[in-house]
Amino acid sequence: MRVEYINPFVEAAYNIMTEVLQTEVERKDLYLKKTTQPVMGVAALVGLAGDVEGRVLIDMSQDSAIKIASTMNGEKLTSMDELAKATITELANMITAQAVTKLFDLGFKFDLTPPSIITGENMSVSDANVEALIVPLEMPQGLVEINVAIRERA
Amino acid sequence: MKTTSDFPSINERTPDGQSNGGSAFKVLVVDDSMFVTKQIGQILSSEGFNVVGTAADGLEGVEKYKELYPNVDLVTMDITMPRMDGVSALEKIIEFDKDAKVVMISALGKQDLVKKALLIGAKNYIIKPLDRKKVLERVISVLK
Repeated sequence: MRVEYINPFVEAAYNIMTEVLQTEVERKDLYLKKTTQPVMGVAALVGLAGDVEGRVLIDMSQDSAIKIASTMNGEKLTSMDELAKATITELANMITAQAVTKLFDLGFKFDLTPPSIITGENMSVSDANVEALIVPLEMPQGLVEINVAIRERA
Repeated sequence: MKTTSDFPSINERTPDGQSNGGSAFKVLVVDDSMFVTKQIGQILSSEGFNVVGTAADGLEGVEKYKELYPNVDLVTMDITMPRMDGVSALEKIIEFDKDAKVVMISALGKQDLVKKALLIGAKNYIIKPLDRKKVLERVISVLK
């Protein structure tokens, strides 16, 4: 997978999270996974189909998701309730919208699915015939991984 | 030396959510995200606006507008929604009330749809992420 596909998502996630959480966000080193990978507990999933195809996962622990949703709502949330899910969905919406604008400017054309929120323990994700690039972002609310598996359509 | 008269009067300014006559502006919020609806509601209520209705898609938004009319001063309208999108809902609202004041709420990357909405008759737009200053500036510019 080409790094140019992940960079817009990482930049967008960095920009949006810095803005909505009003905090420092630290970008950690990118890594690559070819096989099945664990998912942390709350994952926002967006599918892409067009010139490029695949998916983007914005992955975090339930604890981090609740803390992020609490900051964004300006109130302490205690569980992954409907409001917390709507908040993480909106976060994923804003990140993908900004990233996709960049990819469209680079000349790629594709459609997106609305974000789905997946929650649970001991989950993993497998992608057939495409490796995933992962960039962890560290912030006071916890760790968020931007996990992108995209390939060009044959 | 400070005297008691140096204390500012905290109620001197009319909140931006009220007209010069002192009554609160009435707002309908149309958005499929519970988070965004709550966020817009909190920002507007804190400035004295009265959120008189919410709708979770365009179709419901048009119905609510007709129900509330003429007791509604402004609509905030999301663009991407299920059942009926915000641009189509805007079109229906303008058909019903050509003086309707609608502010579009959009994620980045929907410039073509925002332009279309402005041509149809939306009065302004706000790009997400929303913040208090941005929302109040745009909404007030439309109302005053």
